[in-house]
Amino acid sequence: MEYAISNILFYILALLAIIFACNVLRSSNPVTSAMSMAVCFAFTAAILFGLGAQFLGIVQLLVYAGAILVLFLFVVMMLDVKAEERKTSRFATALTGAVIAGVLAGMIANLAINLPGAKNGSCPVKALCCDEASAACCIDPKAAAAQAEAPENFGGPLAVVNPSASDNDATAIAGTLYTSYNIQFVILSFALLAATVGAVALARKIRKD
Amino acid sequence: MVPLAHYLIFSGILFAIGLAGVIIRRNIIVILMCLEMMLSAANVTLVAFSRARGTEGIPVYDAQVLSLFIVAVAAAEVAIGLALIVAMFRARKSVETTSLNTLKD
Repeated sequence: MEYAISNILFYILALLAIIFACNVLRSSNPVTSAMSMAVCFAFTAAILFGLGAQFLGIVQLLVYAGAILVLFLFVVMMLDVKAEERKTSRFATALTGAVIAGVLAGMIANLAINLPGAKNGSCPVKALCCDEASAACCIDPKAAAAQAEAPENFGGPLAVVNPSASDNDATAIAGTLYTSYNIQFVILSFALLAATVGAVALARKIRKD
Repeated sequence: MVPLAHYLIFSGILFAIGLAGVIIRRNIIVILMCLEMMLSAANVTLVAFSRARGTEGIPVYDAQVLSLFIVAVAAAEVAIGLALIVAMFRARKSVETTSLNTLKD
Protein backbone atom coordinates (compact mmCIF):
# COMPACT_ATOMS: atom_id res chain seq x y z
CA MET A 1 0.00 0.00 0.00
CA GLU A 2 2.93 2.34 0.53
CA TYR A 3 3.30 2.73 -3.24
CA ALA A 4 -0.36 3.51 -3.79
CA ILE A 5 0.30 7.24 -4.11
CA SER A 6 2.89 6.80 -6.87
CA ASN A 7 0.48 4.45 -8.66
CA ILE A 8 -2.34 7.00 -8.54
CA LEU A 9 0.14 9.66 -9.66
CA PHE A 10 0.98 7.63 -12.77
CA TYR A 11 -2.66 7.38 -13.80
CA ILE A 12 -3.25 11.10 -13.21
CA LEU A 13 -0.14 12.06 -15.17
CA ALA A 14 -0.99 9.68 -18.01
CA LEU A 15 -4.52 11.06 -18.23
CA LEU A 16 -3.26 14.65 -18.28
CA ALA A 17 -0.64 13.81 -20.93
CA ILE A 18 -3.31 12.22 -23.13
CA ILE A 19 -5.66 15.18 -22.64
CA PHE A 20 -2.98 17.64 -23.71
CA ALA A 21 -2.01 15.38 -26.63
CA CYS A 22 -5.64 15.53 -27.76
CA ASN A 23 -5.46 19.29 -27.39
CA VAL A 24 -2.57 19.38 -29.86
CA LEU A 25 -4.88 17.71 -32.38
CA ARG A 26 -7.94 19.76 -31.56
CA SER A 27 -6.57 23.27 -31.44
CA SER A 28 -6.73 25.30 -34.63
CA ASN A 29 -4.04 27.74 -33.44
CA PRO A 30 -0.49 26.38 -33.93
CA VAL A 31 0.79 28.31 -30.88
CA THR A 32 -1.79 26.58 -28.68
CA SER A 33 -0.78 23.27 -30.23
CA ALA A 34 2.89 23.91 -29.47
CA MET A 35 2.15 24.87 -25.87
CA SER A 36 -0.05 21.80 -25.37
CA MET A 37 2.75 19.68 -26.83
CA ALA A 38 5.18 21.14 -24.29
CA VAL A 39 2.82 20.37 -21.41
CA CYS A 40 2.27 16.85 -22.76
CA PHE A 41 6.04 16.30 -22.90
CA ALA A 42 6.41 17.65 -19.36
CA PHE A 43 3.89 15.07 -18.11
CA THR A 44 5.66 12.35 -20.11
CA ALA A 45 8.91 13.40 -18.42
CA ALA A 46 7.18 13.10 -15.06
CA ILE A 47 6.15 9.56 -15.97
CA LEU A 48 9.78 8.81 -16.86
CA PHE A 49 10.75 10.13 -13.40
CA GLY A 50 8.20 7.74 -11.94
CA LEU A 51 9.86 4.90 -13.85
CA GLY A 52 13.14 5.75 -12.14
CA ALA A 53 14.79 7.20 -15.24
CA GLN A 54 15.69 10.60 -13.83
CA PHE A 55 18.34 11.38 -16.41
CA LEU A 56 16.04 10.64 -19.34
CA GLY A 57 13.28 12.65 -17.71
CA ILE A 58 15.57 15.66 -17.44
CA VAL A 59 16.73 15.15 -21.05
CA GLN A 60 13.09 14.94 -22.14
CA LEU A 61 12.32 18.22 -20.39
CA LEU A 62 15.41 20.02 -21.70
CA VAL A 63 15.33 18.79 -25.28
CA TYR A 64 11.61 18.39 -25.99
CA ALA A 65 9.90 20.90 -23.73
CA GLY A 66 12.83 23.29 -23.99
CA ALA A 67 14.72 23.27 -27.26
CA ILE A 68 12.21 21.71 -29.65
CA LEU A 69 9.32 23.80 -28.33
CA VAL A 70 11.31 27.00 -28.80
CA LEU A 71 12.21 25.91 -32.32
CA PHE A 72 8.54 25.27 -33.13
CA LEU A 73 7.38 28.57 -31.65
CA PHE A 74 10.16 30.38 -33.48
CA VAL A 75 9.04 28.98 -36.83
CA VAL A 76 5.35 29.61 -36.09
CA MET A 77 6.08 33.23 -35.20
CA MET A 78 8.49 33.71 -38.11
CA LEU A 79 6.07 32.36 -40.70
CA ASP A 80 3.20 34.21 -39.01
CA VAL A 81 0.88 31.22 -39.30
CA LYS A 82 -2.74 32.12 -38.76
CA ALA A 83 -5.29 29.85 -37.17
CA GLU A 84 -6.82 27.62 -39.78
CA GLU A 85 -10.42 28.04 -40.78
CA ARG A 86 -10.83 24.39 -41.64
CA LYS A 87 -8.62 22.24 -39.46
CA THR A 88 -9.00 18.93 -41.19
CA SER A 89 -9.32 18.17 -44.83
CA ARG A 90 -12.54 16.26 -45.36
CA PHE A 91 -14.81 14.38 -43.03
CA ALA A 92 -13.83 11.12 -44.73
CA THR A 93 -10.14 11.78 -44.08
CA ALA A 94 -10.81 12.63 -40.45
CA LEU A 95 -12.85 9.47 -40.04
CA THR A 96 -10.15 7.36 -41.70
CA GLY A 97 -7.50 8.83 -39.41
CA ALA A 98 -9.59 8.25 -36.31
CA VAL A 99 -10.36 4.65 -37.33
CA ILE A 100 -6.71 3.83 -38.12
CA ALA A 101 -5.51 5.36 -34.85
CA GLY A 102 -8.25 3.58 -32.91
CA VAL A 103 -7.39 0.23 -34.43
CA LEU A 104 -3.70 0.78 -33.69
CA ALA A 105 -4.43 1.72 -30.07
CA GLY A 106 -6.65 -1.33 -29.71
CA MET A 107 -3.96 -3.60 -31.12
CA ILE A 108 -1.31 -2.20 -28.79
CA ALA A 109 -3.64 -2.50 -25.80
CA ASN A 110 -4.46 -6.08 -26.75
CA LEU A 111 -0.75 -6.88 -27.06
CA ALA A 112 0.00 -5.24 -23.72
CA ILE A 113 -2.77 -7.11 -21.93
CA ASN A 114 -1.60 -10.42 -23.39
CA LEU A 115 2.07 -9.99 -22.44
CA PRO A 116 3.88 -13.21 -21.48
CA GLY A 117 3.07 -13.92 -17.87
CA ALA A 118 0.21 -11.49 -17.75
CA LYS A 119 -2.29 -14.32 -17.63
CA ASN A 120 -0.96 -17.37 -15.88
CA GLY A 121 -0.82 -20.36 -18.17
CA SER A 122 -2.14 -18.65 -21.26
CA CYS A 123 0.03 -17.47 -24.09
CA PRO A 124 -0.87 -15.02 -26.86
CA VAL A 125 1.05 -16.78 -29.60
CA LYS A 126 0.11 -20.43 -29.89
CA ALA A 127 3.52 -21.46 -31.24
CA LEU A 128 5.22 -20.13 -28.13
CA CYS A 129 3.00 -22.04 -25.71
CA CYS A 130 5.41 -24.67 -24.55
CA ASP A 131 4.38 -25.91 -21.15
CA GLU A 132 4.22 -29.63 -20.59
CA ALA A 133 0.49 -29.89 -21.21
CA SER A 134 0.62 -28.52 -24.74
CA ALA A 135 4.04 -29.71 -25.85
CA ALA A 136 2.58 -30.75 -29.18
CA CYS A 137 2.14 -27.14 -30.29
CA CYS A 138 5.84 -26.39 -30.03
CA ILE A 139 7.25 -25.56 -33.44
CA ASP A 140 10.84 -24.62 -32.68
CA PRO A 141 12.34 -26.76 -29.92
CA LYS A 142 15.38 -24.50 -29.73
CA ALA A 143 13.20 -21.46 -29.05
CA ALA A 144 11.22 -23.46 -26.56
CA ALA A 145 14.39 -24.44 -24.71
CA ALA A 146 15.55 -20.83 -24.69
CA GLN A 147 12.21 -19.76 -23.33
CA ALA A 148 12.29 -22.41 -20.64
CA GLU A 149 15.77 -21.25 -19.70
CA ALA A 150 14.82 -17.60 -19.33
CA PRO A 151 11.12 -17.43 -18.57
CA GLU A 152 9.85 -13.96 -19.35
CA ASN A 153 7.40 -12.54 -16.93
CA PHE A 154 6.03 -9.11 -17.73
CA GLY A 155 2.78 -9.69 -15.92
CA GLY A 156 3.24 -8.49 -12.39
CA PRO A 157 3.86 -4.97 -11.17
CA LEU A 158 7.27 -3.50 -11.96
CA ALA A 159 9.91 -3.95 -9.32
CA VAL A 160 10.50 -1.06 -6.97
CA VAL A 161 13.42 1.12 -8.03
CA ASN A 162 16.64 0.06 -6.38
CA PRO A 163 18.01 3.07 -4.43
CA SER A 164 21.55 2.42 -5.67
CA ALA A 165 20.27 2.39 -9.26
CA SER A 166 18.34 5.63 -8.87
CA ASP A 167 21.35 7.32 -7.27
CA ASN A 168 23.72 6.35 -10.08
CA ASP A 169 21.31 6.75 -12.98
CA ALA A 170 23.40 9.12 -15.10
CA THR A 171 26.61 7.24 -14.24
CA ALA A 172 25.17 3.94 -15.38
CA ILE A 173 23.79 5.40 -18.62
CA ALA A 174 27.13 7.05 -19.36
CA GLY A 175 28.92 3.79 -18.62
CA THR A 176 26.76 1.94 -21.14
CA LEU A 177 26.93 4.76 -23.68
CA TYR A 178 30.68 5.12 -23.68
CA THR A 179 31.53 1.40 -23.56
CA SER A 180 28.97 -0.68 -25.46
CA TYR A 181 27.64 2.04 -27.75
CA ASN A 182 30.68 4.20 -28.31
CA ILE A 183 30.75 3.89 -32.11
CA GLN A 184 27.03 4.51 -32.39
CA PHE A 185 27.48 7.61 -30.25
CA VAL A 186 30.14 8.97 -32.61
CA ILE A 187 27.96 8.18 -35.64
CA LEU A 188 25.10 10.01 -33.95
CA SER A 189 27.25 13.09 -33.58
CA PHE A 190 27.90 12.98 -37.33
CA ALA A 191 24.15 12.70 -37.90
CA LEU A 192 23.59 15.81 -35.80
CA LEU A 193 26.32 17.64 -37.72
CA ALA A 194 24.76 16.62 -41.03
CA ALA A 195 21.36 17.77 -39.77
CA THR A 196 22.76 21.16 -38.79
CA VAL A 197 24.45 21.66 -42.16
CA GLY A 198 21.36 20.38 -43.95
CA ALA A 199 19.05 22.70 -42.06
CA VAL A 200 21.20 25.71 -42.95
CA ALA A 201 21.44 24.60 -46.58
CA LEU A 202 17.68 24.08 -46.83
CA ALA A 203 16.60 27.27 -45.13
CA ARG A 204 18.91 29.74 -46.85
CA LYS A 205 17.64 31.82 -49.72
CA ILE A 206 18.65 30.62 -53.16
CA ARG A 207 20.29 33.42 -55.10
CA LYS A 208 19.11 33.81 -58.65
CA ASP A 209 22.15 35.18 -60.46
CA MET B 1 4.27 -0.20 -8.77
CA VAL B 2 2.13 -0.01 -11.88
CA PRO B 3 2.24 -3.08 -14.15
CA LEU B 4 4.14 -2.85 -17.41
CA ALA B 5 0.96 -3.27 -19.44
CA HIS B 6 -0.40 0.07 -18.25
CA TYR B 7 2.74 1.90 -19.36
CA LEU B 8 2.50 0.18 -22.74
CA ILE B 9 -1.17 1.09 -23.10
CA PHE B 10 -0.40 4.71 -22.21
CA SER B 11 2.38 4.93 -24.77
CA GLY B 12 0.18 3.17 -27.33
CA ILE B 13 -2.59 5.72 -26.83
CA LEU B 14 -0.08 8.57 -27.13
CA PHE B 15 1.31 7.02 -30.32
CA ALA B 16 -2.18 6.57 -31.75
CA ILE B 17 -3.06 10.20 -31.01
CA GLY B 18 0.11 11.25 -32.81
CA LEU B 19 -0.74 9.04 -35.78
CA ALA B 20 -4.26 10.44 -35.92
CA GLY B 21 -2.80 13.94 -35.94
CA VAL B 22 -0.45 13.10 -38.79
CA ILE B 23 -3.35 11.74 -40.84
CA ILE B 24 -6.03 14.28 -39.97
CA ARG B 25 -4.33 17.65 -39.64
CA ARG B 26 -3.44 19.81 -42.63
CA ASN B 27 -1.03 22.25 -40.97
CA ILE B 28 2.41 20.76 -41.58
CA ILE B 29 3.84 22.29 -38.37
CA VAL B 30 1.22 20.48 -36.30
CA ILE B 31 1.99 17.28 -38.24
CA LEU B 32 5.64 17.61 -37.18
CA MET B 33 4.53 18.12 -33.56
CA CYS B 34 2.48 14.94 -33.73
CA LEU B 35 5.54 13.09 -35.09
CA GLU B 36 7.48 14.26 -32.05
CA MET B 37 4.70 12.95 -29.84
CA MET B 38 4.98 9.52 -31.47
CA LEU B 39 8.75 9.45 -30.83
CA SER B 40 8.15 10.45 -27.22
CA ALA B 41 5.66 7.58 -26.84
CA ALA B 42 8.35 5.19 -28.13
CA ASN B 43 10.68 6.55 -25.43
CA VAL B 44 8.17 5.69 -22.70
CA THR B 45 7.92 2.13 -24.05
CA LEU B 46 11.70 1.69 -24.07
CA VAL B 47 12.12 2.96 -20.52
CA ALA B 48 9.22 0.84 -19.26
CA PHE B 49 10.76 -2.28 -20.80
CA SER B 50 14.17 -1.37 -19.40
CA ARG B 51 12.57 -1.44 -15.96
CA ALA B 52 10.63 -4.62 -16.62
CA ARG B 53 13.64 -6.58 -17.89
CA GLY B 54 15.87 -5.42 -15.05
CA THR B 55 16.63 -7.50 -12.00
CA GLU B 56 16.33 -6.38 -8.39
CA GLY B 57 15.15 -2.93 -9.34
CA ILE B 58 18.20 -2.17 -11.48
CA PRO B 59 17.06 -1.38 -15.04
CA VAL B 60 18.67 -2.56 -18.26
CA TYR B 61 20.53 0.53 -19.37
CA ASP B 62 20.84 -0.42 -23.07
CA ALA B 63 17.20 0.58 -23.57
CA GLN B 64 17.78 3.92 -21.89
CA VAL B 65 20.77 4.57 -24.15
CA LEU B 66 18.62 3.77 -27.18
CA SER B 67 16.03 6.17 -25.81
CA LEU B 68 18.73 8.83 -25.54
CA PHE B 69 19.61 8.18 -29.19
CA ILE B 70 15.95 8.65 -30.11
CA VAL B 71 15.92 12.05 -28.40
CA ALA B 72 19.03 13.11 -30.34
CA VAL B 73 17.64 11.90 -33.66
CA ALA B 74 14.33 13.66 -32.88
CA ALA B 75 16.20 16.91 -32.34
CA ALA B 76 17.99 16.51 -35.68
CA GLU B 77 14.73 15.60 -37.38
CA VAL B 78 12.99 18.70 -36.04
CA ALA B 79 15.84 20.93 -37.27
CA ILE B 80 15.61 19.43 -40.78
CA GLY B 81 11.82 19.36 -40.76
CA LEU B 82 11.45 22.98 -39.76
CA ALA B 83 14.03 24.02 -42.37
CA LEU B 84 11.94 22.15 -44.95
CA ILE B 85 8.81 23.92 -43.69
CA VAL B 86 10.53 27.31 -44.03
CA ALA B 87 11.61 26.39 -47.57
CA MET B 88 8.08 25.23 -48.36
CA PHE B 89 6.63 28.47 -47.01
CA ARG B 90 8.99 30.45 -49.25
CA ALA B 91 7.90 28.47 -52.30
CA ARG B 92 4.16 28.16 -51.64
CA LYS B 93 3.36 30.97 -49.14
CA SER B 94 1.43 28.43 -47.11
CA VAL B 95 2.01 25.72 -44.52
CA GLU B 96 -1.04 23.69 -45.54
CA THR B 97 -0.40 20.26 -46.99
CA THR B 98 -3.17 20.94 -49.52
CA SER B 99 -0.90 23.45 -51.23
CA LEU B 100 1.50 20.63 -52.12
CA ASN B 101 -0.37 19.29 -55.12
CA THR B 102 1.95 20.04 -58.02
CA LEU B 103 2.40 16.39 -58.90
CA LYS B 104 -1.34 15.79 -58.76
CA ASP B 105 -2.30 18.57 -61.18
